[in-house]
Amino acid sequence: MTDFILKRVAALLLPFIQMYGLYVILHGHVSPGGSFAGGIVVGLAFIAFTTIYGLKKGRAKISEKATALVESYGTLWYGLMGMVGVFKGAPFLANKIAGIDLGELGALSSGGLIGLIGLGVGIRVSSTMITLFFTMIEEES
Amino acid sequence: MRATIEVHLPVFVVIMPLFVAFVLPTLARRIRLVEGVVTSTTVLWFLGAGYLASLVLIRNGNPIGYSLGGWPAPWGIELSVGSLSCLFLLMVAGVSLPVALFAAGNMAHEVGGPKRITRFYVLCLLLGGALAGMAVTSDLFNVFVLVEVATLSCCGLVSSRNHPLAAEAAFNYLILATLGSALILGGIGFLYIITGHLNMGFASQELNRIWQEYPHVVWMAVSFLLVGFGVKSALFPLHVWLPDAHSAAPSPASAILSGLAVKGYAICLIKVLYNVFGVALIQELGMHRILTLLGMIAITAGSLFALTQDKLKRRLAFSTVAQVGYIFLGLGLANSMSLAGTLFHMASHAVIKSGLFLAAGAIIATTGNDRISEMAGVGRQMPITMAAFTVCSVSLVGIPLFSGFIGKWNLLLGSLEAGNRLAQAVIILGSVLCAAYLFPIIRVAYFEPAPAADWQDPGLPQKTALILLAAGVILLGVAPGPFLELAKRAALDLLVMK
Repeated sequence: MTDFILKRVAALLLPFIQMYGLYVILHGHVSPGGSFAGGIVVGLAFIAFTTIYGLKKGRAKISEKATALVESYGTLWYGLMGMVGVFKGAPFLANKIAGIDLGELGALSSGGLIGLIGLGVGIRVSSTMITLFFTMIEEES
Repeated sequence: MRATIEVHLPVFVVIMPLFVAFVLPTLARRIRLVEGVVTSTTVLWFLGAGYLASLVLIRNGNPIGYSLGGWPAPWGIELSVGSLSCLFLLMVAGVSLPVALFAAGNMAHEVGGPKRITRFYVLCLLLGGALAGMAVTSDLFNVFVLVEVATLSCCGLVSSRNHPLAAEAAFNYLILATLGSALILGGIGFLYIITGHLNMGFASQELNRIWQEYPHVVWMAVSFLLVGFGVKSALFPLHVWLPDAHSAAPSPASAILSGLAVKGYAICLIKVLYNVFGVALIQELGMHRILTLLGMIAITAGSLFALTQDKLKRRLAFSTVAQVGYIFLGLGLANSMSLAGTLFHMASHAVIKSGLFLAAGAIIATTGNDRISEMAGVGRQMPITMAAFTVCSVSLVGIPLFSGFIGKWNLLLGSLEAGNRLAQAVIILGSVLCAAYLFPIIRVAYFEPAPAADWQDPGLPQKTALILLAAGVILLGVAPGPFLELAKRAALDLLVMK
């Protein structure tokens, strides 16, 4: 079965879905949604790709090693952002009182470390979604 | 530098194992490196916990506070390291160290390839971080999050053994533990509805002011929390998952699960009952009678079930059910002696039970047999393993000069002070039954004729781990000084309303 329509539509849509996910991750601290929700959207784009184009092509896009690396260091990134406060002489996970500029309210660059922490969460959540999916599907086949 | 570390130590003891756990999966190809990293982490962790305990002892038990992110108490998450936290931290880090040593190079036959072994270590460290978090946090929602982290890690640890029984046990555990999590979340939710606070101190003040207006909500909250934490810490009628899970897990995991994880939930329950509800409200509600009764039933039933088991690890698992009974009995008696006894018994049982499980693991791995009736001759051929097992058994029974005695003695004094005759009888009965289910193992191992098999003690790291744990048991029994001091201070802190 060639699934011509499905494959063409997916090829057209998936880049936008991924962009949207990245948008939600990056704007997590200033708009509804957040890095967790955004991470899930990014992860779902990969899952959709794999279900439509097959396991082999899906694995070619993102290897097991890559997800393992991203998963580990995404979480570590969160911790390192927390340590910024400690190095600046403030408590763990401190933001404003660690002397970080919070910027203009509502702007993308506002919120100090929160946006960066969100990036770590988003990456971690998306790679966890992918790992869960691949674990289940590879067990089946 | 030293001052910086001192200030941040309360949060470092929680995040250090978590950080290491996140890095480990990327090292999975070099299993020796993983083992080295885990062992050195536990050493560092133990030193940190010891330093923190010495700081608290110098401050005469005054808790060290820490506000995450610099947000003060009612808004932010507050960590507070008092005597209770220090005792528990020392216990967690102190038991993790020998367990990590024992696991080094010894997991392949139970767990599998390097990738699975790395996963096992990741789960161990996550569980350790969650337990350390339970010790230091004083935020109710934080308690729930840590309980979840610990529960999922425990399920993973049980299922990490490559055996179908382990998968089944882990699944049962997962279902019951999730039920427990839901109840805990419900209980915390009820408390939040009526108090409007998640910080334990603030919730406690508010609760004691207004509880008479919402008696039913308070009842719901306390019963949800009791059953929720009861399921997770294997309080007797809710223990059904424990024997399967703890006997099916790989031996180092059984040691951590039985020695530490069960206690983590008990510590959470102690914190919620005594720091949020407060001893006066517990007695007003009659909770202390329920706790005492459940504790007595658990001691008797757990010991009797243990007597009937022929499989070594199952017998030890049922023994944990009985010892959890002691913890709840002491909580119910609610005086300073019984609480100090409970806390000390908690710490000493952690060391004892991990020693027993590790020794059992070594015996089962060598002889390939987990039946007590077929253990004849083990004592002659594996002298160090069986000596550690004997020291731990004798201590668990509660013979003087060993750590188990001090905890049980204080519990007994507490029950005398409370004037509860039945509790005194049950504490002593529990010890007798404990001797009845542990001493036959020693008799079979030492005094029955050995078969012509060539069994040997495990390798050097494993022997070191067993010797460390046995030495810990004797040290706690001969010189309990600072530990008993921490337990007594913690008991007084729990009884005094802030």
